[in-house]
Amino acid sequence: MACKVLVVAEQDGGAVRDITWELLGLAHRAAKEAGWDAGSVKALLLGHNVEAAAKGLAERGAAEAIVADAAALANYTCDGYAAVIEAQAKAESPALILFGHTPNGWDVAPHVAAGLDAPLATECSAVGAPGGKPRFTRKAFNGKFVQEIEVGDAPLSIATVQRGAAPAFSGATQGTVRKVDPGIDAGTLQARFVEVRKGESGGLDLSQASIIVSGGRGLGAAEKFSIIRDLAQALGGQVGASRPVTDSGWLPHEHQIGSSGVTVAPKLYIACGISGAIQHLVGMRGSGYIVAVNKDADAPIFGVADVGVVGDLFEIVPALTKAVQEARR
Amino acid sequence: MKTLVLVKQVPNTDSPFRINAAGTWVDEGNLTYGLNDYDRYALEEALRLKDKGAAGEVVALSVGPERAATALRTCLATGADRAIHVKDDRLAGSDPLAIAKVIVAAIKGEDFRLVFAGLQADDDNYTQTPALVARLLGRPCATAVLKAELLDGAIRVERELENNRVQVIEMTLPAVVAVQTGINEPRYASLKGIMAAKKKEIRTVGLSDIGLDAAQVGAGAARLKTVRLAHPPKGKGAEILKGSADEVAKALVLRIREKTGVL
Repeated sequence: MACKVLVVAEQDGGAVRDITWELLGLAHRAAKEAGWDAGSVKALLLGHNVEAAAKGLAERGAAEAIVADAAALANYTCDGYAAVIEAQAKAESPALILFGHTPNGWDVAPHVAAGLDAPLATECSAVGAPGGKPRFTRKAFNGKFVQEIEVGDAPLSIATVQRGAAPAFSGATQGTVRKVDPGIDAGTLQARFVEVRKGESGGLDLSQASIIVSGGRGLGAAEKFSIIRDLAQALGGQVGASRPVTDSGWLPHEHQIGSSGVTVAPKLYIACGISGAIQHLVGMRGSGYIVAVNKDADAPIFGVADVGVVGDLFEIVPALTKAVQEARR
Repeated sequence: MKTLVLVKQVPNTDSPFRINAAGTWVDEGNLTYGLNDYDRYALEEALRLKDKGAAGEVVALSVGPERAATALRTCLATGADRAIHVKDDRLAGSDPLAIAKVIVAAIKGEDFRLVFAGLQADDDNYTQTPALVARLLGRPCATAVLKAELLDGAIRVERELENNRVQVIEMTLPAVVAVQTGINEPRYASLKGIMAAKKKEIRTVGLSDIGLDAAQVGAGAARLKTVRLAHPPKGKGAEILKGSADEVAKALVLRIREKTGVL
């Protein structure tokens, strides 16, 4: 069957990444909305020795899993991956190509868009296709606004989709797996993979923490972080941070929560002086109970928080620390 | 070795943002503008290569209206040697791919070995123009770069991945490097730099100067059309506690105890 939605799958060490199952869920919803057959949803998988992952895709959402398997694709490179995706997209001629808004997804998608002269909507929180016309929802101005985009009569449009935009595909499919010749020669690539390694880290793993107290730009300076540490200590929790904090060197990068840091899901998350840029929200909105303290009543963090206080964190956080200490006595 | 830095002038984040009458973008009349934060890191990376003698001329380029010249002037004051300003009324409403085509047309014949840019712009957050430019040039691009080291005829970069991992790759020059914030500590313009910038060249070019057909750019040619800009839905919305710091602290403790059981 002709392909309408092509999901570019991501795998890590041969395991399909969670974002791909969400993309397949989203692809089926969009296809349904557009009136496209479920059989028009296909997945494209690149890698080396990824047969099991390909089979998984065909069993869970993809009517066809197209597999480009080559030693030169064992690791991601922008030009190697772009060339293969572009060639397969040309062959399949879909109306919509979906990538995850992941470091590799946003890295490669523009190459494909420019190569195919197609519009690219990035970091989408929703993708619809009413009447077969793709429509994209995303944040602009760092989350201050929601932007809706249409693509007119463009025969192909491309999106990178943020985590959590749709539930993972949960049904079962009897798709097929088809191997294609990637037709790339590692020797001609302009980008060469060297290694993937851990960033600089002191061994902190916030992903398993059950209580996290995070500070943001609102703290204003490294030394002001003591009030965050005090509250974390009173609660028996860990200290987290938003990107501006680690960029400024107030805390090491391993404390950073969000799309470029760690994803956390503690029972209790307390955000202090964090406005709630989407990059931060995607890393913490799965938390059980979210408390926000911020001086700006319009800060997006209050949109995901369960309870909030609008005010001066330098008054509220120490008062909360004291109240917690008293409650623990 | 000439180095290009792609920059954009964007609204300052503390500007008074309002949605325009058509409901399709922000009302630009109320805004104050500055150099995109990510681009300060891109410029710094280029200037560091120059300081080390590894790069020659550093050229800043921006596509934008009259006001964008101010951002270029900032780049010159900070240390860029010259600037190119692509300015044409017919560019208004262009989508990122059109802007990338404009950039590629504007640098034709310049022979840049390295192109630095910020990972994204703080206005549309598109995160795509540097890699679009790379593809149109047929060159590699690395995004979210946390470290860059020049080798012989290549550049080795560390790309930020998720969960505190980095990917190290080497790209044959010419190459495009889209930097993540935090890659360096950007310098500020000195008084001397500001004075020196007055003598530096900003070359302003229009569509006809760069040989690009107006039919390829602007709102008419844009395939990405913003049909609506709105305030984000409040979601379930937080319960907002009111009172003195001690009162709200006690109320928070009660809720934390009830909802999480951690106290």
